[in-house]
Amino acid sequence: MTDLLTYGFMQRALAASVMIGTLCAVVGVFVVLRGLAFVGAGTAHSAFAGVTLGYLVGINPMAMALVFGLGTIWIVQALNERSRTAFDVSVGIFYAASMALAIVFIGLMRTYNSEVYGYLFGSILSVTPSELWTIGLLSAVALTCLALFFKEFHFIAFDQEMAAASGIPATRLFFLLLNLVGLTIVIALKAVGALLVFALLIIPAAAAYQLASRLWTMILWAVGVGLTSTIGGLLLSYAFDLPSGATITLLATALFFLAVLASPKR
Amino acid sequence: MNSPAVTAEGTAPIITFQDASFAYNGTPALEALTFSIMPGEFLGIIGPNGSGKTTLLKALLGLIAPTAGRATIFDCTCHTLRCHHRAKIGYLPQRSQLDPRFPITVFETVLMGRYGALGLFHRPTAADRELAEAALHDVGLPELKDRPLGQLSGGQQQRVLIARALAQQPQVLLLDEPTTGVDAPTQTALLSLIRRLHQQRRLTVLFVTHDINVVSPVVDRLALLNRRLVAIGTPAEVLTKATLAAVYGEAVIVTSQGGGSYVIVADHHHD
Repeated sequence: MTDLLTYGFMQRALAASVMIGTLCAVVGVFVVLRGLAFVGAGTAHSAFAGVTLGYLVGINPMAMALVFGLGTIWIVQALNERSRTAFDVSVGIFYAASMALAIVFIGLMRTYNSEVYGYLFGSILSVTPSELWTIGLLSAVALTCLALFFKEFHFIAFDQEMAAASGIPATRLFFLLLNLVGLTIVIALKAVGALLVFALLIIPAAAAYQLASRLWTMILWAVGVGLTSTIGGLLLSYAFDLPSGATITLLATALFFLAVLASPKR
Repeated sequence: MNSPAVTAEGTAPIITFQDASFAYNGTPALEALTFSIMPGEFLGIIGPNGSGKTTLLKALLGLIAPTAGRATIFDCTCHTLRCHHRAKIGYLPQRSQLDPRFPITVFETVLMGRYGALGLFHRPTAADRELAEAALHDVGLPELKDRPLGQLSGGQQQRVLIARALAQQPQVLLLDEPTTGVDAPTQTALLSLIRRLHQQRRLTVLFVTHDINVVSPVVDRLALLNRRLVAIGTPAEVLTKATLAAVYGEAVIVTSQGGGSYVIVADHHHD
């Protein structure tokens, strides 16, 4: 298995696994604690619609994914402020509408494009060096933001209204948190796919939630589960010739149920 | 009632409402409030469910803007209050179902009271930790410092949240139903704690409750709300059959007990 590491594609896949596994786990902790799972799912689908449009008109698909993913979050937030539409409802609308858009865009493509499906189901083994750099750079941006506002995000996740009342710019920071969730999804989109990125965001943090009673230990557990899933899933998928994204997701799910069984909180 | 009564000390009011109206989710919740509160005053805010008690606190916290009129605290308009002013208001929200598995310790919860004053990008210092420790001492729970918050009883969690508000070193303490949903001995303990804090620190306290008899013995004044200010004054002035009947109906009973009034109303809904 060691000669595996001499392949350039495998090295890149492992590097991507480490970065994405870590980022998704840390951001996922706040997603789980603040109850933003559905926002994550909706953003993943609109980011995929961005990818399809990117391929259709010949613009960098990851850039379009970022525009669509963050655009969804901005519109959902505006709807929530202006018309008091509940997050779940407006995210649900975007979830469906962006899938419809993606199908229309794919339909408009004259030829079959396998790369588009790579974004749907994930293709971590085909991550290019330039994509790896993008993943690294954006992950650093997202993790830096989280580190800078760590204490505020903890407070907002605990009780946003109390945070606002005690002098924290809670509304603006919550919006920043939503944008970080969107950014994380776009970063992970190519490697694990729009359908499964959500798994990497939610499952490690949900497993950690079962095990930890402090935020720091929850983050460490989440990163542990996240990295075990991405690296382990990647190696398993290679060894048994299975699709990588699905193997990563199934391994994470198995770890989640182990955590539930081992939970001291039950 | 337009110009606030000046007390013996001759100080200016810390909180004023001038013809202020508020709506909650589009429906009017409070109409044309005009009254003021002096520094160091202990005000009980009573009224039936849906009378706008919580709305009044949220208005002071600047979480909702008035639809008409003006609300001020520390001489600043509430809903445009800067964050460093907000940090001087300690707030105990109505007891909500805390997620018992949320990863946070008692001490971390109290320390959060310092975050507003600290501002963004600053980590808690040794002085902040000392203030949090002192606040935990004040509420009598120093030994539970490192326990997960979710493991504590409801009354203990209330005390931790009061400690969190105290760690802010507030000038004003807003308490929303602090004694609701806890057993009678805990209720008494919480009440004497709040009273002691008020006396020792000259805190301005606004204590919202639907349970008139809990607060009437300890407050300086009572404000009776029912979508507007029905009455404000000393407990003896407000707790009369005529005043209360206007809000709670003719079935209200007011009796005298040891110099104070005891009130029985037909409003038995607990949130």
